[in-house]
Amino acid sequence: MTFAERMLKIDRRIIFLVIGLCTLLPLLYPVGLPIKISPEVRGVYDHIESLPEGAVFLLSLDFDPASKPELQPQAISLLRHAFKKNLRVVALTLWVSGTGLADQIITQVAREMGKESGKDYVFLGWSPGGNAVIINMGQNLYGAFPTDYNGKPTKGLSVLQGVANLRDVNYAVSLGAGNPGVEAWYVFGKDKYKFELGGGCTGVMAPGLYPLLRSGQINGLIGGLRGAAEYETLIDQKGRAIAGMDAQSATHLAIVVLVILCNIFYFSLRKQGKQRGYSGA
Amino acid sequence: MPFETIIGAWVAVGLTLFIFTFLYNDNPLFKLAENLYVGVSVGYTIVKTYDTVLVQLIWKPIVENGEWALLVPVAIGLLMLTRYVPKAAWLSRYAFAFIVGVGSGLAIPRTISSFILKQIEDTVRPLMTLIPGEGVSFTWNLLNPTSSLNTIIILVGVCSVLFYFFFSVEHTGPGKVVARTGILFLMIAFGAAFGYTVMARMSLLIGRLTDLIEFSDPSYGRPSLWLLGVTIILLIVMSRLSGSKQHKEE
Repeated sequence: MTFAERMLKIDRRIIFLVIGLCTLLPLLYPVGLPIKISPEVRGVYDHIESLPEGAVFLLSLDFDPASKPELQPQAISLLRHAFKKNLRVVALTLWVSGTGLADQIITQVAREMGKESGKDYVFLGWSPGGNAVIINMGQNLYGAFPTDYNGKPTKGLSVLQGVANLRDVNYAVSLGAGNPGVEAWYVFGKDKYKFELGGGCTGVMAPGLYPLLRSGQINGLIGGLRGAAEYETLIDQKGRAIAGMDAQSATHLAIVVLVILCNIFYFSLRKQGKQRGYSGA
Repeated sequence: MPFETIIGAWVAVGLTLFIFTFLYNDNPLFKLAENLYVGVSVGYTIVKTYDTVLVQLIWKPIVENGEWALLVPVAIGLLMLTRYVPKAAWLSRYAFAFIVGVGSGLAIPRTISSFILKQIEDTVRPLMTLIPGEGVSFTWNLLNPTSSLNTIIILVGVCSVLFYFFFSVEHTGPGKVVARTGILFLMIAFGAAFGYTVMARMSLLIGRLTDLIEFSDPSYGRPSLWLLGVTIILLIVMSRLSGSKQHKEE
């Protein structure tokens, strides 16, 4: 058996080990590779920056714990930015399995920034219906969410003063890991009720959302852990996303090297096969 | 540190390591963690749905606020359960008809407007800009999504991919070139999608490893280190047991 043949039949667990080490070592010993800000992430940041104090910022945390590593850093960064700008934050989730996680994120950031529930922010929780919830909120926010996550009636909350429906929202961002998510917020929300919309999503979903970005249907897009790291850089608050970027770069490099090596071994094996074929003939 | 946080850390580390054991081989530790995950997810969803829908949105408004009109959607919803009674199963069709009708009515116009008309509008952009007094302008910037060059690339991509999926004409001669161009665009799109998928999966791994590093702290009782040792020992024991079992069978 030649070297190329042995390499192509290598135990896949060795590759798992290589990828594991490439992830673990940079997390333990970070290098601090530079992070360049992309225009799509800056789009979300700039729009929040342009909002006046007291403007209504709606954050829909449409994900569950399975997407936590990518979308939790995005949610934390956006909430920190919004609270720093003294925006009125209205948060909700369209994913029932993400309710507890969403509450945990909002409560943690609000406590850290010294914000009060009902006055500076409200977490509406989850309501059944997915896309229908967005339409319902567009008609009457209090009909879709009569109470907040803690059971307090939403009518009369000072954070929602002057907010009757989605038309009164200044900026909305959906952090989506699937459906309902960014697309649903555009189709059933922005397109009908005319508010500005930004998006955040997992890396898997990002290529599918770029057409919406280019056509101006969303004004910014935070894609995956990389997008979260860019946002953390913009608000100058290092978090989990920036910490993970070295590991991300190392694993990508390892995968590229593995793909190149596999191709070299494959083509050398094919060449050997051809040569044998000629000598045999 | 609160006791429940420490317990949570130990459970999270244990289940993460049990799931990772699948990378070595399929084993009972992985099955245990997998089944627990499914069970807990379903249990959590049922409890949240019961509390939010049945208690908060149906029971309380009807009993406390007298909103009797809610009985209409409740009745439509209950009709779905008739599927479990063969003789009355036909009643569920009314509920499904209502849902399909309302859902289609809401979704079709909005989807056409958002994903077809808006995207066509964005694709059919002027290739060149006519500036009064200056003449025709053509922008070459590849990094600007709205540049003339990118508009041409998108136009070529859309037309060639659409032609590739047009099977009424044989792809020969110039048609073959166009179809091949379409394949090229498709391959680039698949490559970009796969690259993002790899990035996403690596992000998930980074997330779990970050937690494992955090939970190796003495304030949690170093669950990452202790449970890593326990998991390795259990894997060795199970491997030995299955080895001796095979030996006996032979």
